[in-house]
Amino acid sequence: MHRLMSSMSSGAVSGQVKSAPTAPLLEMRGISKTFPGVRALDDVSLEAYAGEVHMLLGQNGAGKSTLIKILCGAYRPDRGEFLVDGRPASIASTADARRLGVAVIFQEFSLVPYLDIAQNIFLGREFRSRIPGVIDRGRMHREAQRTLAILGVDLDTRLRIHQLGVAQQQMVEIAKALSQNARILVMDEPTAALSDREIERLFEQIRKLKQEGIAIIYISHRMGEVFALGDRITLLRDGRKVASMRPADTTMDALVRMMAGREVSTTYRRGFCENPGEVAIEARALESANGVRGANLVVRAREIVGLAGLVGAGRTELARALFGADRITGGALRLYGAAVANNPAASVRGGMGLVPENRKAEGLALGRSVQDNILVAGLHRLFPNRWYQFRKAHRAAADLIARLSVATPSPRRLAKFLSGGNQQKVVIGKWFNAGSRVFIFDEPTRGIDVAAKAEIYNIMEKLVADGAAVLVISSELPEIVAVCDRAYVMRDKTIVGELSRAELTEENILKLAMHDG
Amino acid sequence: MVDALARRAARIPGVAYLLVALVLVFSILTPRFASAPNLFNIGTQSAILLLLALPMTFIIMTEGLDLSMGAVLGLAGVVLAMLLVNGSALPLALAAALGVGLLFGAANGLLVVILGMPPFVATLGTLGIAQGIALAATGGQSVVGIGNTLPSLYASSWLGLPFSVVVGAAGYAVFHFVLYYTRFGNYVFAIGGNREALMLAGVRSRWYHLSIYSLGGLMAGFDALLLTGRMSAGHPIAAMGMEFDAIAAVVVGGTERQRGNGWLPGTVLGVLSVGVLKNGLNVLAVPSSLQVASIGLLLITALLIDSIRRAK
Repeated sequence: MHRLMSSMSSGAVSGQVKSAPTAPLLEMRGISKTFPGVRALDDVSLEAYAGEVHMLLGQNGAGKSTLIKILCGAYRPDRGEFLVDGRPASIASTADARRLGVAVIFQEFSLVPYLDIAQNIFLGREFRSRIPGVIDRGRMHREAQRTLAILGVDLDTRLRIHQLGVAQQQMVEIAKALSQNARILVMDEPTAALSDREIERLFEQIRKLKQEGIAIIYISHRMGEVFALGDRITLLRDGRKVASMRPADTTMDALVRMMAGREVSTTYRRGFCENPGEVAIEARALESANGVRGANLVVRAREIVGLAGLVGAGRTELARALFGADRITGGALRLYGAAVANNPAASVRGGMGLVPENRKAEGLALGRSVQDNILVAGLHRLFPNRWYQFRKAHRAAADLIARLSVATPSPRRLAKFLSGGNQQKVVIGKWFNAGSRVFIFDEPTRGIDVAAKAEIYNIMEKLVADGAAVLVISSELPEIVAVCDRAYVMRDKTIVGELSRAELTEENILKLAMHDG
Repeated sequence: MVDALARRAARIPGVAYLLVALVLVFSILTPRFASAPNLFNIGTQSAILLLLALPMTFIIMTEGLDLSMGAVLGLAGVVLAMLLVNGSALPLALAAALGVGLLFGAANGLLVVILGMPPFVATLGTLGIAQGIALAATGGQSVVGIGNTLPSLYASSWLGLPFSVVVGAAGYAVFHFVLYYTRFGNYVFAIGGNREALMLAGVRSRWYHLSIYSLGGLMAGFDALLLTGRMSAGHPIAAMGMEFDAIAAVVVGGTERQRGNGWLPGTVLGVLSVGVLKNGLNVLAVPSSLQVASIGLLLITALLIDSIRRAK
């Protein structure tokens, strides 16, 4: 910030035309990073120039977040180097990154709710008064006010964060980043939570920052922003850099095509559903307390329906609302033509089962046995007279384990000792035992290996062959394309389109899922 | 005008209404409640609780809990009294009491912050240890014959106010200043509200977190001065269960275990509510078993008022 201030006071900013930048302010070269089982980044390079906005694009899981975490020192790359001002630099910790002038505005805010704006901007760098330990509050508020003024934000720095709206919090985040003498500012989807007017104001600030000679790396899912703001575009896919270009040299369609790009290697399903059965789930103009608005959706027996969209589009929220785990506030929901009470117990009785995204936290009791887990949702069916019979339980569990081919030495094995794929089968088995006829899978194959994935797809296929209805949420577009009979696409907490089998391609999904405005 | 008043009323926390209601009810039920000697009595009782509730506010704000405070206060009181009986000077005896408190506070911090134990379990453990030592050292008997220095200091009045009330007020002033005007205070909010952000800002947050627990022990040690002065003796289980009153006072006062939402003035109101309730029921000669239940009722009522108002 102090650098920013001095340039302001010397009047060097306004009206000055910057010559085209020659050497990049920051260069990341050949960055590779592997997590157990995943090649997150493979030889990725990225340059950021002073006074430019560099848009970073890619699907979920393309490697954007990993790249940013490496840049800010939260992760260390396996290979690769950094150059700042053309000189080799080492970023081994967040402190190193800060010293080099890298500041990141993550989507999850790094603000303290019950401290005021000034205290947050200078957290850990408080101005000290002459008495040790005591803060010079007057000076802190003055400096904070000045930083905000540079951003053109008029906010009382005595307001506490919990009193601010999301857009204002975003501005405080930016002020905090700038006050750290940031020269390289990384913004991870800064407009995700903002209204149109707030976005316009943010863009004004970003243009001002450009004039200040700050290099900005900007992650976005909104195509409109890419062309409104970007000076340079880099596209990642599957941890690799696909291309770098100027916005003028490309079009939205071309970008979407490059982002999708993955060839669909295998079709997992043998036959698709030709004659769907009765309507299993029907949602009309569904609104829910967790944010879903006006969602329309139909899932019939014998079909697998996909629910695609980018992270944060509201897919999990919709699934939870359908299942009754979150409150429905408007619209209508019918299960096999009948209205259902808005709670999970009623949904399960009505034949619905949810295989949640976070199976360890929401799908399993990790410290209990496979048997306990696999039976838990169907105990009322198994023991109608309410007495637990050990033999019957054991037999039922063994039967389910065999049907789903769960690899476990015994039904008594604790769930936490199973592999991810086998854990997932236990979660699914839970609903077999409950007699479910409608299955909602939320990211069913996340974090499990390829062989287990194929088994999960097999299970789904058997389910629909037996007349069940399946709704699958997945961030992996090839998975949606390969497995589903049709798919809905969500954006901004609502369903924005439906793709039939014929229209179901990665490109079409992306077009709907991304903001075109 | 009415709107402005309503808005202002909405900002007053539930505990304030509760306190006013309690005072009104007891004043109507018995004339002895609002008498000057009785009000002084409430003040002196509340001061002892306040000295525990102040650091307890910091601890609860940072998603913690300290169940050992009452037991540590009891042990520190026993140590203080025993040293006085043996003829030590008051400052030396107080230093020893502070040392005992600090030791237990630091132990709590070590267990919770460094070893990552749940605060409930860790401080339950130190509670047992402190109480056990106090009982073993005294054989469960009161430590009497502590001389005149402390009792006469306790009985003295400053500017017409009882000594303990003055100490309580001074204690509040210090804690208020620390929480709202110092770096340490900022970090208390940050440890509760967004520990990750504090660490990313390069602050040694664990050291500060540990200091918060240490401060709790230290204040329990210091409180021995008031407790022992009040009883003119040391008793191993004199402060048993006082940590629950302190926790109730803090929570009634509007401090939350989440998001680092602490409000120190509310803690004073909470302490006074507990004090008024206990004293009023005493004056009305309600059996002490029912008094314990009343604290629980107070806690639930205060939380209910706030959640109903928030829901609107």
